[in-house]
Amino acid sequence: MAATFFGEVVKAPCRAGTEDEEEEEEEEGRRETPEDREVRQQLARKREVRLLRRQTKTSLEVSLLEKYPCSKFIIAIGNNAVAFLSSFVMNSGVWEEAGYAKLWNEWCRTADTTHLSSTEAFCGFYHLKSNPSVFLCQCSCYVAEDQQYQWLEKVFGSCPRKNMQITILTCRHVTDYKTLESTGSLPSPFLKALKTQNFKDPACCPLLEQPNIVQDLPAAVLSYCQVWKIPAILYLCYTDVMKLDLITVEAFKPILSTRSLKGLVKNIPQSTEILKKLMTTNEIQSNIYT
Amino acid sequence: MASRYDRAITVFSPDGHLFQVEYAQEAVKKGSTAVGIRGTNIVVLGVEKKSVAKLQDERTVRKICALDDHVCMAFAVLTIFIGLTADARVVINRARVECQSHKLTVEDPVTVEYITRFIATLKQKYTQSNGRRPFGISALIVGFDDDGIPRLYQTDPSGTYHAWKANAIGRSAKTVREFLEKNYTEDAIASDNEAIKLAIKALLEVVQSGGKNIELAIIRRNQPLKMFSAKEVELYVTEIEREKEEAEKKKSKKPV
Repeated sequence: MAATFFGEVVKAPCRAGTEDEEEEEEEEGRRETPEDREVRQQLARKREVRLLRRQTKTSLEVSLLEKYPCSKFIIAIGNNAVAFLSSFVMNSGVWEEAGYAKLWNEWCRTADTTHLSSTEAFCGFYHLKSNPSVFLCQCSCYVAEDQQYQWLEKVFGSCPRKNMQITILTCRHVTDYKTLESTGSLPSPFLKALKTQNFKDPACCPLLEQPNIVQDLPAAVLSYCQVWKIPAILYLCYTDVMKLDLITVEAFKPILSTRSLKGLVKNIPQSTEILKKLMTTNEIQSNIYT
Repeated sequence: MASRYDRAITVFSPDGHLFQVEYAQEAVKKGSTAVGIRGTNIVVLGVEKKSVAKLQDERTVRKICALDDHVCMAFAVLTIFIGLTADARVVINRARVECQSHKLTVEDPVTVEYITRFIATLKQKYTQSNGRRPFGISALIVGFDDDGIPRLYQTDPSGTYHAWKANAIGRSAKTVREFLEKNYTEDAIASDNEAIKLAIKALLEVVQSGGKNIELAIIRRNQPLKMFSAKEVELYVTEIEREKEEAEKKKSKKPV
């Protein structure tokens, strides 16, 4: 204890660091008020990941893949991967929506968690009408770190089947790619693959070298599949244009010849046309860059 | 490591990078694709025109600009800047003033190399100054000098400049440059028309919707500069497509 100039008594910091004092202080900090608890619960409710059915807007009772059997699951994360699946795969068959995920985090443009319009980032799940065990996920929203586990639980469940094959497609900026060469000389966009131990088929592109890592939702899905011994492969496209771009989307084309997408793509020239149309409707002229 | 050395322009990183300058080069990649070709008697500049907003006046979105227009001799120095629009406007103004100032002082129009060096020096100053950021623009500068030799120069945000036979800057520049490396041959630039077609073909590699999104300008030796109208570009595009079809027919007819 020490007295200041004004006569108030303050607790002087003790450099000896007695353990008892520290424990006391910690407990005081940990003891949360009912308000803290309320705020924390409210935040948890706001950040909850919910899987809903489109027509009834009710939540699915069990996880998606527990409800529907699945032999093949293709997940597209990010707008370029989503555009690729939209033009090449979804236009080659009749797909039915099995549900959609609703979630909110700081990355969302709207603060309103109740009404997410269709033009906003979304996460939809579809299955092929002619073969309902083939699933597709289009995820163009950002799933935060604390929500990734919830997302996996709601989609895969706590005890997933092992006889399905997962394919994940996503993009990252080429400046994230760690290499001795300068990024200016890299042939972007280019494709790299990362697969789990149980995935036996060959990848259609070179594997991702160390020390590069995968992040966010693709990493969460891949880790989950590795732990549960599900064969899964991630195709990562490094590009220098993160917004919707024709050349980036076309960089995914080698995947069309792999077993993951075999039989799901019928008319490639038509798909290319649809892709071009998608690009022009989404193009916003920015006046900042000439 | 990068995050500790990339905030101030005047700080080198331990491995010798000037990160702000490298980031400025990334800004250039956000602009449209532009291509420049030096022929035997012609220089060609082509650029992708991005779609403008509905209410925007298209005529105010001109990308190819003349830096100097010598009225009597019909020489001109044409340029295109890709990257931050506002930076481009500022540098073009300074370059135009320098062209006139040079003419007043020395009574001769600038050479293409002189004005390129001026622009490059200006850009370099901004990479070595405290409190200023580099210009986020690359430029392609073309023209003919007194000696009648065609020239094409390229500058980048670091302030370097080089002469090129053909080059591309902006989005997907690497793809276009690779195309040019494969297709820039003596035959390809033998005639003026062939050089123009090469420029259009190079742009069509990355431009999505064909001729109506290409702005093209040429200078022929001893002739004033010419800006192509959309119709004229379309004519060339149709010819290119026709040639492509014929080449494919010939390939398919060849006995296996």
